Amino acid sequence: MRQGLLRLVISCSSVFALTSAALAQRGGPPQAPPTPKAQAAFDITGQWVAVVNEDWRYRMTVAPKGDYAGVPLNPNGRRAADAWDPARDESAGEQCRAYGVAGLMRMPTRLRIGWVDDQALKIESDAGTQTRTLAFGAPRSQGGDWQGVSIASWDRSAPVVSGGFFPGGGGRAGSLKVVTTKMKPGYLRRNGVPYSADTVVTEYFDRFDVPNADSLLVVSTEVVDPTYLAQPYWTSSHYKKQNDTTGWNPTPCAR
Amino acid sequence: MESNAMRPIVAVLFVTATCAALLAQTSAPGRSDVPAPGFDLSGYWTAPLYEDAMERGAGPELGDYGGFPINDAARLFALSYDASRVTLRHHQCDGYVAPYSVRSIGNARAWEERDPHTQQLIAIHWYNQTFEGHRTIWMDGRSHPPAWAPHSWMGFSTGRFVGQALEVQTTHLKQGWLRRNGLPESDQATLIEFFVRHGDHLTHTSVISDPVYLAEPEIRSTDFARQPIDHQTWLFACDDGEQILDRAADRVPNYAFGENPFANEMRDRYKIPAAAYLGGPETSSPDLLPKLASLTDADGAAKTKPASGPRASSRAVDPEPHDGNIHMWPLRGGLFLLVGDSGNVVAQVGDEGVLLVDAGAGLLAEKMLAQVRLLSDKPIQYIMNTGFQPEHTGGNVALRASGGDPSVRGSFFALQFADAGVGATIVAHQNVQNRMVAAKRAAAGLPSDTYLQERRRTFHNGDAIEMFWEPRAVTDGDSIIHFRRADVIVTGDIFTTTQYPPIDVANGGSVQGEIKALNDILERTVYQHQEEGGTIVVPGHGYVSDEHEVVEYRDMVVIVRDRVQAMIRKGATLDQIKTARPTADYDTRYGSTSGAWTTDRFVEAVYASLTRR
Repeated sequence: MRQGLLRLVISCSSVFALTSAALAQRGGPPQAPPTPKAQAAFDITGQWVAVVNEDWRYRMTVAPKGDYAGVPLNPNGRRAADAWDPARDESAGEQCRAYGVAGLMRMPTRLRIGWVDDQALKIESDAGTQTRTLAFGAPRSQGGDWQGVSIASWDRSAPVVSGGFFPGGGGRAGSLKVVTTKMKPGYLRRNGVPYSADTVVTEYFDRFDVPNADSLLVVSTEVVDPTYLAQPYWTSSHYKKQNDTTGWNPTPCAR
Repeated sequence: MESNAMRPIVAVLFVTATCAALLAQTSAPGRSDVPAPGFDLSGYWTAPLYEDAMERGAGPELGDYGGFPINDAARLFALSYDASRVTLRHHQCDGYVAPYSVRSIGNARAWEERDPHTQQLIAIHWYNQTFEGHRTIWMDGRSHPPAWAPHSWMGFSTGRFVGQALEVQTTHLKQGWLRRNGLPESDQATLIEFFVRHGDHLTHTSVISDPVYLAEPEIRSTDFARQPIDHQTWLFACDDGEQILDRAADRVPNYAFGENPFANEMRDRYKIPAAAYLGGPETSSPDLLPKLASLTDADGAAKTKPASGPRASSRAVDPEPHDGNIHMWPLRGGLFLLVGDSGNVVAQVGDEGVLLVDAGAGLLAEKMLAQVRLLSDKPIQYIMNTGFQPEHTGGNVALRASGGDPSVRGSFFALQFADAGVGATIVAHQNVQNRMVAAKRAAAGLPSDTYLQERRRTFHNGDAIEMFWEPRAVTDGDSIIHFRRADVIVTGDIFTTTQYPPIDVANGGSVQGEIKALNDILERTVYQHQEEGGTIVVPGHGYVSDEHEVVEYRDMVVIVRDRVQAMIRKGATLDQIKTARPTADYDTRYGSTSGAWTTDRFVEAVYASLTRR
């Protein structure tokens, strides 16, 4: 029985190897691996409008200082939030603290998403007129700004052990995974709920096409901040696809 | 010898098929036309309450509907809601509907159900601790039930793997909450969900469509963290009891339009314009931001009262098939719903013969009879009429003629009457006979066995059957019929899921009697679990229900009665009352501007009941 299983695995591997070789030879010289753009799990491009119905009061208006219900701040975080001074931010030229990478996707905003080239996506927001660059592979900047350095990948779940009797994984459409570091410190909410420069933001972008209705973009976000958070902070923000460019209204950062 | 010879061929075929499958999967990533492989949702899950922490924990702000794409009816319903309504006995254990349940505080658990022989995935189960909401997501391709099937908190769900997600479609939900500060989700809502796993982070996205209370679909996304150990607390204890003694049975806490004392709380506390937090599709859009500063108190106040203009009509799905056929839905204990000939008919079958409650309109009597024949080869012995309305008694003549009552045929009656026991015995309150005679209905369809007291009882096919007279409900001859062993109550038009109660004042009906009749039904029902299941309630028209549907219907009648009563006390005329639209929050569910029973006629009936000397 064991020998039979071994023979099958070897046979399958051989078939794979031969088939792969044949496929490679069919097109002539070896081809470059497909680009991230060509490998896209779904079409993320276009204009998307935020649906602001969760944490509505915190997102549509500026909550009072010290109102950080739901954010797992540690004592440092609470102290920083309690010391929020919007006038000080303004005088320091830091009005965009709430539009940094850990807070931007929660803003009431429209997004324009497109490919910069085969290796990078760009997300523009009209709220605060921000631009994020999501690079597949080498980073496109040194960071130190509001949006930091974002590294993207197509995240397709794969079997932990694959091959032979364990197929699967390759057929799943997958998500866009983005990990961002090296950002300026900013606010999770517009009322000064802080995140630090040591923050790591991990996002998963998923597109859902509702039968006979809207296409949705859902951004699941994990914010890990050893400075101000007691535990990872998770939110999920959702957007609807627009079929046109109406409503695009770039505005400067504001309270 | 033969099996040895076959081995190499089988091995080649197996290897080829396996490898082909692998190649097919690896060569077409993300293509939507390729069936998506499933993924494992099993395990323990906890939703961190980072989003909407107040709402999901202690509770939402009163009047906070900001971002919900509700219509005017939903807002008015919510503003009319008095939180002390949960002190009412029948609301104390109300469960959460599926989309709210997923959003609620508490632990969750998921597991697969597979066919033990084929290992095909039959269902995925999702269990929420809060109100012990147990969802079954059928993965085996089965269809959703028909429109006359019961509704439940969790609804009926089917799923499939699409792309990276488990996509779930849900119908047959009960009326519940979009938000537990009174913001309603109707029993007409449908739900589409997407579950996606990113390692131990599960994102759940729900899209609620509700033609009754939403102007646009409501979208939510909720995060769950996978937990490695059993939460251990899985139950949600609830038992109803008296909260306020000596409260009248017809009291349902509510606020008149424009008089909710908490409507401006958010404005005063957070300096947010009421017109924004009172919700509507415009309040979830970034386009609200530049307008916020210009919204006035008058804009907010305008949202707290019915707008002038034409009345809305029901946007509910018609639960009757209208396809020229009679459809059967099994109830319990030998009882079956027969739907298709206007009014609902219930058949009890057993050794003694067939007992029908009501006879339909009679337009499809032959097909009705054919359905009865599929259930039993015994004759129709009894027809019990819940009222005299033609859609419930129109089939009396034909169905009676097809049956016979052997309990009479062999008795001394046979010595006196040549036709004793010929045809089914029609049982009803005496006033049903009186009204049918006055309407010159065919003699062969008149009740032949009437009762005058408040209760008529019989034992048939092993069940104790009670008829209770409701003297002044929709008419003066209504009966509710309770099969005690099966625990099924058939209500006639006292309760429907399709329209405002057709109170026929000219034939003895009244809104006060209607409320009493609905409360009498509730006196006899027992829920199985968290205010659902248990006693089956079959309405005169509409889908198979339980006490929750009756409670919501009772609440509606009481609240409309209260509004009309208050306006009468202030000296309003009938025209002024109709113009004030006292049913504005219910019209998208029950209203009608045409046909036999319009919203105006209902308001007129309430007015007439309350002003009759």
